[in-house]
Amino acid sequence: MEKYVFSASPHIKSPRTTKRIMIDVCIAMLPACIMGCVLFGWQAIVVLAVATLTAVLSEIVYRLCDGVKFDRILKEFDFTSVVTGMLVGMNMPAGIPVYIPVFASIFAIVVVKMLFGGTGKNLVNPAIAGRVFAFMSFAKAMTTYPSAIIGSLSGGSITDAAGTVVTGATPLSALLGGNTSTLTNLDLFLGTGVGGVIGETCKAAIILGGIYLVIRKVLNFRWPIVYVAVTGLVTVALNGFDFAVFLPSILSGGLILGAVFMATDFVTTPDTKLGNYIYFVVLGALTAVLRHFTSGEVVSFAILFMNLVVPIIDKYVYPRPFGYVKKQKEVK
Amino acid sequence: MKTFKGGVHAPDNKALTAQCPIEQMPLVPDYYVALSQHIGKPAEAVVAAGEKVAEGQLIAKATGKVSANIFSPVSGEVVGIEQIVNAKGGKGDYIHIKSDGEQRVVTLSALENPTAEQIVQRIEEAGIVGMGGAGFATAVKAQPAKPVDTLIINAAECEPYLNCDNRLMIERTEQVIAGTRLLAKALSVSNVIIGIEANKMEAYNKLVGHEGITVELLKKKYPQGAEKSLIYACTKRKVPCGGLPMDVGVVVNNVGTVYAIWDAVVNGRPLYKRVLTVSGRGVAEPKNLEVRVGTPLASVLEFCGGISENTVKLISGGPMMGFALTGTDLYTTKTDSGFLALTDKEASTLLPTPCINCGRCATVCPMKLMPMYIDFYTTVGDYASSVKYGAMNCIECGTCAYVCPAKRPIVQSVRLTKMKMREKK
Repeated sequence: MEKYVFSASPHIKSPRTTKRIMIDVCIAMLPACIMGCVLFGWQAIVVLAVATLTAVLSEIVYRLCDGVKFDRILKEFDFTSVVTGMLVGMNMPAGIPVYIPVFASIFAIVVVKMLFGGTGKNLVNPAIAGRVFAFMSFAKAMTTYPSAIIGSLSGGSITDAAGTVVTGATPLSALLGGNTSTLTNLDLFLGTGVGGVIGETCKAAIILGGIYLVIRKVLNFRWPIVYVAVTGLVTVALNGFDFAVFLPSILSGGLILGAVFMATDFVTTPDTKLGNYIYFVVLGALTAVLRHFTSGEVVSFAILFMNLVVPIIDKYVYPRPFGYVKKQKEVK
Repeated sequence: MKTFKGGVHAPDNKALTAQCPIEQMPLVPDYYVALSQHIGKPAEAVVAAGEKVAEGQLIAKATGKVSANIFSPVSGEVVGIEQIVNAKGGKGDYIHIKSDGEQRVVTLSALENPTAEQIVQRIEEAGIVGMGGAGFATAVKAQPAKPVDTLIINAAECEPYLNCDNRLMIERTEQVIAGTRLLAKALSVSNVIIGIEANKMEAYNKLVGHEGITVELLKKKYPQGAEKSLIYACTKRKVPCGGLPMDVGVVVNNVGTVYAIWDAVVNGRPLYKRVLTVSGRGVAEPKNLEVRVGTPLASVLEFCGGISENTVKLISGGPMMGFALTGTDLYTTKTDSGFLALTDKEASTLLPTPCINCGRCATVCPMKLMPMYIDFYTTVGDYASSVKYGAMNCIECGTCAYVCPAKRPIVQSVRLTKMKMREKK
């Protein structure tokens, strides 16, 4: 008896799957992870591994508790939890006690992702929420940054008001007041001599990953650029149109990491081009303004806030169909 | 190069049959001619069991304006009228004709220098319907209710695998051009455009240089041949939502249709044969065939060397908009542009996963709808919201479902919403 698959058109589909997209994102994050390990040593490897493993395990355990058979979980494994776990690790300073990435990953996967319905249903980016959760709960540990193993190429450093060198200070702390930085933009770009979380210091590696995603058509190059440019320009405006702060402001802190890997997450961004413009422009402005007035690193808070605004944007911004005719009001 | 906004570059797989000249499908012993091969009411049989019929003889009459005459594809004897459930799942009446191998052929009178009225009348008499797949009565289209100034011949053939129009244009260029001129005369329009996709350069080179006919080379992109996309690409006119091409002064017809018009007017031969492509990697010898209406699909596939073990999907039409078949219990009609046997490597059989909101569907939608919302709201049973995001304007081209990384059955959702809305009325 002949048996053929009987289903609705189309009968051919592109080879791209969710799994393939997520594997691409993992590959894109590798350069930044490797540079994190180069700059911060074996402790970075531990944090990244613990965060990723915890995320994957939490997802599997959650689904097991949900009564899903193990072989089905394996079959449906789509690498989203790997992406979340890696991002959680990248958002932690090296040398942090390992229970913090464990808590953050569990929170990200179980509370933020699975409880809302799993892949594609989360309201906010799980990794961002995990980071903010850890930041609120373990503020001290989350802001104790070790110094990079490779020092500044230009011999620059960050000094406090008294003139003593502050080890492990982030260049953002210099930019936002208090400390003074003599690090060059090249240092900021490569992460040499820069303190910070594992994944954020080497901008070159993040951008390399971003370019890979753009080539693989996973990421639209427009959005990270809009976000970063708006943040930089608003910072310039807030500093009395001092264009010297443009490059340091965009190369400091977690802005590039957030722009390439976190703010652009499909699930938590608007679904239309216009919606995305609104989202990224407001996000950029919000980041710059909050940074200016709170003197803290706010990229993750800004993204978290804007994630929550997305449903409102999507409610009002959607395209008119091709050939749309405006309904004429009936004259009575 | 002209085109429309949105769309997708899908591998066209046309190379399988692009160089295969049109072959004649040999006679088979039994023909089953469907009474409903077109949009509108089924035709009414005018022959009875035991009656001898000649090739080209009228065997079923149109019932009403949107319907079409049906002619015997072969000389033979009527066995009877049988009800058949075909492999698409459609039930209908078929006239079963046993071929007698004789060469009795009847034709209508050939027309020389016909007037516009004569051409329209002949299109109606000869049972010509849109051969791109819709099967709408061409005579109705040739008498538009609104003034039109442009005739566009749809030569895009954007469905992957299919080459029937391509081969017609290459091998029977003059006939296609003459058929186009006849239709232009019937419509009394002077602006005649043939829109052809850039992957058919051989046909393009043969078509250019005919006086009074503009050949528009269009970008190779699916769905370039969707009526509204084609009109926009060729004329920059936008057919309003829920409207018809004539609302912007355009009539669109397919290459196969104008060839049939030429045949009916110049040779007096009514429509009972058509060119179709048999392709896919599951077919031993892919071919372009001229097939008589009512030929069993099994015979057609057999003539092409049969289908391989690893065939997972049989399709009537193209892979983007065609229908999956449960088996080979199907008989060719006027509107069949091809049959495909796709192997496990070609056809997608992946199961749907949750939507990740990547938005690719909305980016590629030629109608600028929000397919992800349509799918979501249909799944949860909120059909009103599905309509709000454009379900009723959907042309079911399948571009969204093609690009979807989560393999969502978006087109199925659209059809479900449309069905629910029809039920409501």
